[in-house]
Amino acid sequence: MILRSLLLRQGRFALPRSTLIRPFRRYLASQIEETYTNPHQHQQFIAGADGDATKSQAATSLSAESEVLDNDPVALNYALQQHSKAVTGKIGSMVEPHYRPHELLSNPPSPKDITLELLMASQSHIGHSTSLWHPANAKYIFGVRGEDGHPIHIISLDVTAAHLRRACKVVSGVTERGGLVLFVGSREGQARCVVNAASMSKGCHLFTKWIPGTITNGQQILGKCKKKVVNHKDEEVKGFEDQLIQKAAVKPDLVVCLNPLENYVLLHECALNNIPTVGIVDTDVNPTWITYPIPANDDSLRCVQLIAGVLGRAGQEGQAVRRELALTGQLPARQDHGLEPPAEQETDERNSRDKEHGRNLLQAGDV
Amino acid sequence: MEYTLLRTGFRRAIVACQNPAKRRVAVQPRRYFATPVESQGGPDEIRAAPPIRFQSDDNQFSQSRPRAELIDNANFSRGGRGGGRGREAGGAGGGQEVDYRQLLRRIRIVPASPSYFTATPRYTDDLLHLSSLLRAHQVLPLLPPGQAPRVAWKTIDQYKTELAEPIRSKSYNTLLQLLKRLNYIHPSLMPQEVTDALEKYKRDVQPHLNVPNPIVVNEYGVARAVGRRKSSSAQVYVVEGTGECLINGKSLTEYFGRLHDRESAIWALKATQRIDKYNVWALASGGGTTGQAEAITLGVARALMAHEPDLKPALRRAGCVTRNPKRVERKKPGKLKARKMPAWVKR
Repeated sequence: MILRSLLLRQGRFALPRSTLIRPFRRYLASQIEETYTNPHQHQQFIAGADGDATKSQAATSLSAESEVLDNDPVALNYALQQHSKAVTGKIGSMVEPHYRPHELLSNPPSPKDITLELLMASQSHIGHSTSLWHPANAKYIFGVRGEDGHPIHIISLDVTAAHLRRACKVVSGVTERGGLVLFVGSREGQARCVVNAASMSKGCHLFTKWIPGTITNGQQILGKCKKKVVNHKDEEVKGFEDQLIQKAAVKPDLVVCLNPLENYVLLHECALNNIPTVGIVDTDVNPTWITYPIPANDDSLRCVQLIAGVLGRAGQEGQAVRRELALTGQLPARQDHGLEPPAEQETDERNSRDKEHGRNLLQAGDV
Repeated sequence: MEYTLLRTGFRRAIVACQNPAKRRVAVQPRRYFATPVESQGGPDEIRAAPPIRFQSDDNQFSQSRPRAELIDNANFSRGGRGGGRGREAGGAGGGQEVDYRQLLRRIRIVPASPSYFTATPRYTDDLLHLSSLLRAHQVLPLLPPGQAPRVAWKTIDQYKTELAEPIRSKSYNTLLQLLKRLNYIHPSLMPQEVTDALEKYKRDVQPHLNVPNPIVVNEYGVARAVGRRKSSSAQVYVVEGTGECLINGKSLTEYFGRLHDRESAIWALKATQRIDKYNVWALASGGGTTGQAEAITLGVARALMAHEPDLKPALRRAGCVTRNPKRVERKKPGKLKARKMPAWVKR
């Protein structure tokens, strides 16, 4: 017996979408089973009930699909989920303000929020094993703690706080004067805080390995990277592109290093080029590598994100001061860029002169 | 005299060729940097020459005229740095010079991107952009694994050429992982910004979009399909009927003398027990009898799947679905046929 009925022979999916049975009870169920229907399924080898299905029809059915996708059960389910979360999420016990890790990145504290309690809660007082210490760090160490033969050094938090505030002053001072701050943090998990701090200070970030020679051999390594010219209001100024090609690579005015133990090459290059550095100095780090050390725990991500966030905020404050000075016209001038006025008029004149010369040559050739 | 010079010269050349230690190398000139370092106006400072004024005067190169007149004295006296430019502006440029001086006092050179010191700024900016998109839309529901739309992403070489940066394959794989994860977002909830971001990384030609035309049953109930085997091809029309079969105008028994060929031609219908339910009309060309029979097999199977798609697993088990890719292997030099070697001779 030939089963000519479309539904019986080819199943539900051959029918037009609107006649699909969609059980309403599913919207109210707490656990909804996934009945995913591949939207591309009906393109393959299915005889349309109405007429021939050429490729054009497949295309039109695709566009018709967009209307279908708005009524897709997954989208409706997601909307219902968001709605019920918004309505019922707050019902229940009162939640006190508490530590939420993502807030260190989304809304970092500012230099005036530095307290010993905050530093201790971020585990910044925890140093390394006493056998691994660098003796030059003795003045930053509070004491030794730990039993069972694994004593560790504890960093003095008042010293940490003082050095951190000093570093914030340095960063905000540099940004006030239009300097470029480079934030470096190459350990896993430090990328986001480094990028955030750089964007707040309008500086540069680096969360991958430092390429040795980036400063000392800048014209080779950074030769292809683009530079731009900005004015006192941080707006880009056009017309210097051909001059910029000849200019040397940009060097940072301050480098903030969140893991100096892994970036000693960077710190050495900065020292060679008289670039001041700020860095987190743990008990096993040589503090003489860094101009403005911050004795703290470089292994705790929370501590590192706190310090990066605070320094970023300091840079942001410096940028705000700079902006105000720029608007009132009180900015100190920077004369060391070595640029010349952009040749706008001269290029027009030169172009017209060249055209005339060319025309003369052509005429001479014709004759 | 010349002869002796020539001889010594030749001798020296021969010695240089034979003994690498005695090769004389010309003194290398002092290497200059590709991009000159910042100079403070010392003796090595590179200055642009003053612009040449071309004149249409016919007597400009005449002997009577002193040569010094050709060079504009005013430009030369000012000195190289921006010498001619200020003068050309003339009196009207006075005010503009003041503006330029103020502009020069206020500008500074900064990197175009915050990823400047990574040496691959464009790649790093792309990576950060995609990461931020993923973070923003992390909670959106995904498609089941394996059911994301197939996309041909750019190869690392294409991406590197576009960016003109040295990017490692490991770095590009990280980027690809992000792209594939973003591609899994359910299409009903895919944000427009994600679609726009993904478009940049897709290849210009998407090979998976090249789908074959679906075989459909037309308004008369006829499905047309093509089957091929060896060098034969067959166009097959299958329609619901009573079980007739015509190949090139002849019946099955007339066209195929061999019983095996007759059976294999309608094997698709035989395996699904539908010989009496469909009529077959085929046009076979090329090759030989068995090749044409097998070509018809494939055509009938495809046309039958257009009528009844649910028969595909059964036809696959019957061996009608796959196109047999075997072709006659060509003869090679040194052999008698494709593989047959001539008789081995000891000497």
